[in-house]
Amino acid sequence: MANSGLGQISRRSFGVCLGAAGAAVPLAAAPAPKKVKVIDAHSHLANHSNPNWATADRQLIDAADALGIDQLICSILTPQRPALPTGFRQCNDWVAEAMARYPGRILGYCFVNPGFAEEARDEVTRCIEKLGFVGVKLYNDYVATEPVVRPIIEQCIRLRIPILHHAGHTYWLNASQPRISDGGTFAEVAKQYPEAMIICAHIAGGGDWEWTVKALRNAPSVFIDTSGSVPDEGTVEMAVKVLGADRVLFGCDMSMTASVGRIRSAELSTVDRNKILSGNIERILSLRRA
Amino acid sequence: MIDVSAYLGHFAYRQLRHNTGSSLVRLMDRFGIARAVVSSAASITYRSPQSGNEEVAAEVEAHRARLIPFAVLSPAYAGWEDDLKICQEQFGMRGVRLYPNWHNYKLQDPRCRNLVNAATERGMTVSIPVRVEDRRQQGWLIDIPDVELSEITDLIRACPKARFIIQNASGVAGSALGRRDNGLPENYAFDIARMSVEFGNEIGNLLAILGEDRLLFGTAMPFHYPGLPLAKLDMLKASSAVKEKIRSGNAERWLGVQAQQ
Repeated sequence: MANSGLGQISRRSFGVCLGAAGAAVPLAAAPAPKKVKVIDAHSHLANHSNPNWATADRQLIDAADALGIDQLICSILTPQRPALPTGFRQCNDWVAEAMARYPGRILGYCFVNPGFAEEARDEVTRCIEKLGFVGVKLYNDYVATEPVVRPIIEQCIRLRIPILHHAGHTYWLNASQPRISDGGTFAEVAKQYPEAMIICAHIAGGGDWEWTVKALRNAPSVFIDTSGSVPDEGTVEMAVKVLGADRVLFGCDMSMTASVGRIRSAELSTVDRNKILSGNIERILSLRRA
Repeated sequence: MIDVSAYLGHFAYRQLRHNTGSSLVRLMDRFGIARAVVSSAASITYRSPQSGNEEVAAEVEAHRARLIPFAVLSPAYAGWEDDLKICQEQFGMRGVRLYPNWHNYKLQDPRCRNLVNAATERGMTVSIPVRVEDRRQQGWLIDIPDVELSEITDLIRACPKARFIIQNASGVAGSALGRRDNGLPENYAFDIARMSVEFGNEIGNLLAILGEDRLLFGTAMPFHYPGLPLAKLDMLKASSAVKEKIRSGNAERWLGVQAQQ
């Protein structure tokens, strides 16, 4: 049977998604499609240490065009760990330049390392209040429950902005990421800071996604994004079943066709699909604007 | 469309949905997939994979027009010669899938070449899934790496009369398998399940290097969502004729079947 949600997403707004179910529901027989905005809540631009960064950014926009993604919320990470203040400031400047280059298309996450408390605080202030960024991106410099992260969480609560936090839960030692956070970490943070809006990154690229979803069941203030390269069937459906559609955000994390294919394939109601594609993240971002 | 990379049955480490003959056919209908090559997901972890082949044979019986069964065999397990004969002659299986890292042998193992040659003599296709699960997903009991493309290259070189489908591979364009004038017989094809289009454009590069006859549509459903390779085809800058070859024409020739029965 046709996926009930697909018929509501226009080719203009979400690429050629109807091809996925085209045999079951001929487009001509469907009601006039209604445009649904699509926001990639987890994206990245190329670090300018890559000499081909401009081409890479153009490819990102081209892919978004082809797949019907209207806006991308992007950060740039430093290649080195730990990220130093000069590095994260530079990265955020590049994001700001991209926001100017692609107005309305690129939104910004401010990347900081909470280990540099004063510099991180000032950088979040600069990015949010002066440069118009919409959230903060934290990577694996610290586990989210470490005390050093608290000032950033508290600042984001005051600013009413989300934190997109890198995450993963695997059963094999990831030597390169000893301080990676996971769904359980965020559930702990949510107990202490229920007002914080934490987005658990890339459910489809962070190890055991079933574990992650279950770990977040009782943390209603934590969201997950659907990005990543892992194509496992049922990922989105389980997230919606356990967490509710209001807590699931569409994202790609540069795995564009995988992430679009995932959300096109998932068995969702039209209402839930639209929440995931943009409604939820728009609701989050509106809190800052309000 | 013909999907060359589908499965039936249970997998030991994660619940699969749409994993019976009837439910898989319903999923195929939703995505416009006419026929699918299926093998046992359970046989990936069964010690004796033949038990899974028996399950698949029973499951496809009511769906022969849609589901094309392949056997899962291990050359390291006793009795594979008998199992191969049963799979082809009694179960009507048209190919064999190999899981060297899950079944604890190497593709260079002489026993493996014997199996490939025996399947080839029977006119069966040999399929090698490079990856079953992303390694980041794997549970505490297992840590199974992807099959090395160099191992596959050696097997292809050693078995020039065989006909190979390589499933769920990526990085092919940077390997010997994806090079022009690599000295290998043109007896292998890839599914596009895990190949990029948006960055690097591996599918486009392989079309340019290997030609338009050696890429196949494959989803690995119900392990994977079927829509991912469909999104790749949507993005691929190629003629509709080339896309049609990937969707079904190449598989028709490679497997000796028709998309519609």
